[in-house]
Amino acid sequence: MFYGWWKAEFLLIIAFSTVLDFFCALKIEDTSNQLIRKRWLALSIGLNLGILFLFKYYYFFLGSTSWLQDLLSPHQKLKDLNEFFSKALPVGISFYTFQTMSYTLDVYYKRAKPERHIGQFALFVSYFPQLVAGPIERYTHLNEQLKKEHRILYKNLQMGFRLMLYGFFVKMVIADNLSYTVSSIFNEPGKWKYYWNIIGVLSFGFQIYADFFGYSLIAQGTAKLFGIDLMDNFNRPYLSQNISEFWKRWHISLSTWFRDYVYIPLGGNRVSHSKWIFNILLVFVLSGLWHGANYTFLIWGGLHGVFYLLERYSPISIKFPSLKLLITFMAVSFAWIFFRAENLTQALEVIKGMMGFLDGQRQLDTQPFIFLLLLIFGILELVRGNMRFDYFCEKFPAVRRWTLYCFLLFCILTLCGSEYSAFIYFKF
Amino acid sequence: MQATIRNIILKLLALVATVAISSMVYKKIYWLPELKDQGPMLFNLLEFEWHNDVLYIGESSNYWIAPEDTDKRSISDMINDSLPGFRLSGMQVPAYHAGMFLPIVKMIDTHSRVKHLVITMNLRSFDKPWIYSTQEGALMRSKCFYYSSNPIYNRMCAALGYYPNPSAESQEQKMLQAFEFDTLKVSFPIKFNTIKRWCEQEKFPLPGGGEDFPKRELADHYIKAYAFQIDTSSNPRIKDFDEMVKVCKQKNIKLYFNLLAENIQWADSLVGQDLVYLMKENRNLLVDRYTKMGVTVVDNLESVPGECFGEKKWTTEHYNQKGRRIVAAKVCKTLKSALNK
Repeated sequence: MFYGWWKAEFLLIIAFSTVLDFFCALKIEDTSNQLIRKRWLALSIGLNLGILFLFKYYYFFLGSTSWLQDLLSPHQKLKDLNEFFSKALPVGISFYTFQTMSYTLDVYYKRAKPERHIGQFALFVSYFPQLVAGPIERYTHLNEQLKKEHRILYKNLQMGFRLMLYGFFVKMVIADNLSYTVSSIFNEPGKWKYYWNIIGVLSFGFQIYADFFGYSLIAQGTAKLFGIDLMDNFNRPYLSQNISEFWKRWHISLSTWFRDYVYIPLGGNRVSHSKWIFNILLVFVLSGLWHGANYTFLIWGGLHGVFYLLERYSPISIKFPSLKLLITFMAVSFAWIFFRAENLTQALEVIKGMMGFLDGQRQLDTQPFIFLLLLIFGILELVRGNMRFDYFCEKFPAVRRWTLYCFLLFCILTLCGSEYSAFIYFKF
Repeated sequence: MQATIRNIILKLLALVATVAISSMVYKKIYWLPELKDQGPMLFNLLEFEWHNDVLYIGESSNYWIAPEDTDKRSISDMINDSLPGFRLSGMQVPAYHAGMFLPIVKMIDTHSRVKHLVITMNLRSFDKPWIYSTQEGALMRSKCFYYSSNPIYNRMCAALGYYPNPSAESQEQKMLQAFEFDTLKVSFPIKFNTIKRWCEQEKFPLPGGGEDFPKRELADHYIKAYAFQIDTSSNPRIKDFDEMVKVCKQKNIKLYFNLLAENIQWADSLVGQDLVYLMKENRNLLVDRYTKMGVTVVDNLESVPGECFGEKKWTTEHYNQKGRRIVAAKVCKTLKSALNK
């Protein structure tokens, strides 16, 4: 119901994925013949990726291949089909497709026993708090919890609401307030003084973090109300001292997915040097492409791969942790330009704007309090350390805890951005 | 047990106090500056209603100026200048329609000085392209700021997307369906009874073959904008204007609808008399309906000659200084007789 509320017809796609993986996993389990197991796995992966390709990449692929366009263009029905796929993108398709694929792969690698109750499996695929924008849960982690009997417990409600409160603060107060600065800069990079372009790019780094982290907290909090623990998707990524560490802290459910189901099956680091370099670049480019069909995502992923390799082979070793942190942050921020830009031209314009090549003279009328809020958010993140926000609150006596809640609520009510902006990751 | 209850009560009190303090702080510090950006019409109303006898509520037609105009006054300014002894101010936001004016009318303080209200009535705002405009979501967001509820609640509605926000795709689809299936029912034989068929008709053939495309495109704009018949039972604008009449009666405010001038000459030359007939039929319906309800309808539909329209490639109610003066004079004449009574 939750998923169908948006567009009922897309329920068919998620239902198809669910039934497909349910049966494929059973077939894989029921035979010991390796070849047959492989075929069922290939069917599951092929169809899942096929659907993903049709809805997410087909139109981009068509747009990049003019000969194919010419071939198809005289056929009206095909043209209509192209038109349909250009507009239709089922929300969260990348998330639930990867989640169901991980299940089949886990069964194939004998890391998990298949689920024999289709309703139970459907619940795992479509568990609503994380359905549309993750975290991409693993079957072994989520399904075991979903199977248990749950009661409404005060402790769970308390922790769930804490996570949700912090999530709303991060999304509505930090991310939504930064969106004006970011969109103004990216829409017209040539209009603003060069330092506003730099501020805009840095702001986007915080906006996307706050937006996605906020969503993950709300999802975790909502699940916690029902006694379900979803995995942590972020661990203060901007405190990373290198790109490798950044990917252990950023969108953890996706990076571990690529590690477990792409990088390791490709041989991990137990392959020749050149193959390893290829594998690293491939994994990063694929993780870029996972976000969407655009050259900008491809470059974003590729840049991270290149940064990773540069770090690995750099002859200079930096001793100061704060300098390492700064360099990593700058590299990540630079790559964000491609992630945010709608096309390569816009990305290059922003880079030119940052370097002062565009002669922009205007000042942006951003409210300074936004940067104060960002500072408060930064302090909160530093103070909570590695502890999740709900556990972090436990440390304090009730009065201090409630002072913090009231402060967050006050900020949400009075200082949240007044423009409604959907979660950025909803479009992936 | 008692301690637990006390604890819960204290926590609830803390939450209620936070909400109350947030509301006060927001209203005191942030509301007006935000209103200026997000809900400019209410921002104006809060200032104007205490200093004006008449308010003129409209959209871009009020202030649009042709580049060659020497008289740069808006329609409302022209009316104000011709009403000695009375004060009138104009409040306008581009693309606003009666659905947006209605909450503003509801917000007029009954104790304020305003006793006369002129609302622009744009014939095109009753048509399908406007009703199914892709801008509707943005307008509805603005509308959140115009409700009489607590400002902080209104703001949260806008921030959380708690307002009708139809997608551009669905709006466009509805509009195209209306073009295809809404049939025109008239007492004379009409060649094309849907907008789609009318637009598909060959127009302005060139001697060497093909069509005069710019002219054809403009003619199609006119058909899409004016080839409709107002259904009083379902047209949302009718509901808005009806409600406005009711509200003004309750508030004891004399209401005037300024039915804006349309480019009848061009409609005739580009499309023909069938289209002009439909425009006039809709005008008659509106004038009749609202006159019967006690509203003074200033009928400007045919007042402005074609050359006074500013936009040459689109259907708008943007007039040059001569056009604005004509409209203003007619409204002024009606107002004068009412005010002098």
